Amino acid sequence: MSTESKTKKGQSTLAKRKALFPWLVPLASLRLTLTLLSLSMVLIFIATLEQVEIGIRGAQAKYFESLFGIWHYPIQFWGGEYLNSIPIPIPGGWLLGGLLIMNLTAAYLIRFQWTMKKFGIQLIHLGIIMLLGGQLVTQAIQEESRMQINKGESSNYIERFHGVELALIDVTDPKQETVVSIPQELLEEGGSISSEDLPFRVSVKSFGSNCDFNLVGSKDKRVGVSKEVDQGVGFSANLSIKPKSEDYSSEAMNFGYLVFELTDATGSLGTWLTLSHPAGNHWWKESPKLAGLAFQPIRHKGKLWGLTLRSKREYLPYSIELLGIENEFYQGTETPFNFESDVLINMDGNEGRRALVYMNTPLRHEGKTFYQYQMNKAADYTVFQVIRNPSWLVPYISCIVVSIGLLWQFGFHLVRFLRKNSLQKA
Amino acid sequence: MIRSSLIPTKTHFFCGTISILVSLSSCSDEPTVKKSVIASEYTGPVVTWVLPENWGENPALAGPMAGSFHVKTKEGPQGRIGIMPFRESVSSLEVANMFAREIGYGLLDEERLAAFLEKKSLGDREFELIRLEEQRTTEAPKTVLLALHRKDSQTWLFPFIAQSKLIEDELENFCFFLESTVLRAGQEPVKALAPPASPPSSSAPPTPSAPEWSIPTHWAPGQASSMRLASYKVSDEEGNELDFSVTTFPGDVGGLLANVNRWLGQIGLESTDEVGLKQYVSSITIDGMAAQLVEASSTDKTFYAAILKRNNSSWFFKLTGGKNLALKEKENFSEFLDSVCFHKP
Repeated sequence: MSTESKTKKGQSTLAKRKALFPWLVPLASLRLTLTLLSLSMVLIFIATLEQVEIGIRGAQAKYFESLFGIWHYPIQFWGGEYLNSIPIPIPGGWLLGGLLIMNLTAAYLIRFQWTMKKFGIQLIHLGIIMLLGGQLVTQAIQEESRMQINKGESSNYIERFHGVELALIDVTDPKQETVVSIPQELLEEGGSISSEDLPFRVSVKSFGSNCDFNLVGSKDKRVGVSKEVDQGVGFSANLSIKPKSEDYSSEAMNFGYLVFELTDATGSLGTWLTLSHPAGNHWWKESPKLAGLAFQPIRHKGKLWGLTLRSKREYLPYSIELLGIENEFYQGTETPFNFESDVLINMDGNEGRRALVYMNTPLRHEGKTFYQYQMNKAADYTVFQVIRNPSWLVPYISCIVVSIGLLWQFGFHLVRFLRKNSLQKA
Repeated sequence: MIRSSLIPTKTHFFCGTISILVSLSSCSDEPTVKKSVIASEYTGPVVTWVLPENWGENPALAGPMAGSFHVKTKEGPQGRIGIMPFRESVSSLEVANMFAREIGYGLLDEERLAAFLEKKSLGDREFELIRLEEQRTTEAPKTVLLALHRKDSQTWLFPFIAQSKLIEDELENFCFFLESTVLRAGQEPVKALAPPASPPSSSAPPTPSAPEWSIPTHWAPGQASSMRLASYKVSDEEGNELDFSVTTFPGDVGGLLANVNRWLGQIGLESTDEVGLKQYVSSITIDGMAAQLVEASSTDKTFYAAILKRNNSSWFFKLTGGKNLALKEKENFSEFLDSVCFHKP
């Protein structure tokens, strides 16, 4: 078959494909690709500017994990005093990413030809689609947590960086504890929460992710959301709460609060207040009047329950013991060049696995990756950042696919060039 | 022909399907109430109980009790039942003597105590029951029924103080209550909740083996109780009153900070910490022994308290009430402390 007839056949196939999927044609536009890429650059630029004001997490939530964000021209820029008040909608990460995937996929189906000559390009585009899709999945399902372990001790749980839970813990049994946790999402929904694992019903009166709190004098009355509280530390310490919006900055100290009533078949057991400490509820013990916030006891039908609002916790089927820590600094500076934690993973059946976790060398275990995050040698503890990302392999596979595509494409052209060259010489 | 030219869709569908499956798996992670069972890590004390139907719980108050209850009767709440933890092991004789004076027994010794003591198995635990019936003749004689349980070098005391008839009627419920208790000492002291309310009784003078002291002549005998070795009232013409008490407990009863914070709360002051404690506490001697004097005033109230640790027991001498009268009586309080004599060998 001649080259001309091959080209004609290809063009006719493309025309048939366009006729079969006419709705895909505008989506496959190259102009759309360029527009989306340009808008992505604008998005990154604006989010970087905003990050200074609202922190990484705030910028991420406002611009990247949304369909669009509203931006105000910085007041300190030229003409800012006039332009700052105008709200400017900026397409968000979800919108641009989603459209880019659709655009690439549409172009893949409509425009590209399945020939050896174009095979490399097909692979490159497939790799990029996988990369974008993988990132979308990662953003949707990845969970970031932290695990703090004191030297010589072990820990069997990780705590989310963001989000709290109301934990109700039955500590009556000397051998084991039953922990029933109500996640922030349900507390935000409010209403009455019950579970077959709880002997009482929790009715949310007020919940917020941040507040100012103060101890009201014994003669003064509490006002606002905590005025109904008649049990526990909120009552005995006469705690007054003033809700405020969540701070997204990196130095944020958000004190979550929850006012709730407990009821059982006999009626109300009282209204309680609990607060979460951003650095961990063990810090409440530093304050004599608020120490009880780490564990407010409730006796019910011969059982002792403790309640606390704490960072969302996930218990692991294994524990990690910190055997030793090491940190090294560049000579004469306080700049670290290595943090190292020597750990032992204790699994069921007395199985153990020893590992060294240091910068850029995480520990991977049962679907979770433990990165060295913080360390305090003086206080003898280490903190791991723990990531659960089932799609962590996708970027690696995508890069391999793109690399093969590039090799194929350049190799194909190189072979053709060399063949053509040798023919001309002959 | 068109279908054969669309071979890449197989790859595409494969990747798409994987992406969708992963997405779906995340979507199924709806927020729900979760239950986890973990190894015990709570280090605090565990004290729980099941109350008989006709018993009620007293509101939480400050004091050395972990729980305080009453019997619901047609005439209203009657009797006092409590749970009192001691961090150290205390002898049955020490405990019995905390209550014996109140009902006219004087100081008991081991031989006399044996007549009132009975051992009882409830569930898989052993209790010592000490039954002391009021020695004075009254229309409605009282009984002090003390149940003691020893576990892990700690002693748990369950006093039941009521009219003798009520105790007879409620004996079965008392045993049910004792059997239902879960008692686990933690690494931290058991939170003291409520001292038993004190019934009116004449103030018993110190026994020969107890310390002696001189009371200012204008201090009038006050409301005594099983917890008080001495109780006096001081009042002035303007109607201001002070309450004076002498109490003793085995061990350190929660320590200096816990006691001071409890007293600060009673006069409406904020709790303090170890650093802030220094502004309230000074060193004194009582009968030649090192002791601590605690002084604090709010806008209208004042307390002076002396704490003496002697032979694994804590002695508390406390004067509290209106600020102005307390200031006037401070010197008398100091003289009282100087007069305390323990008759050391």
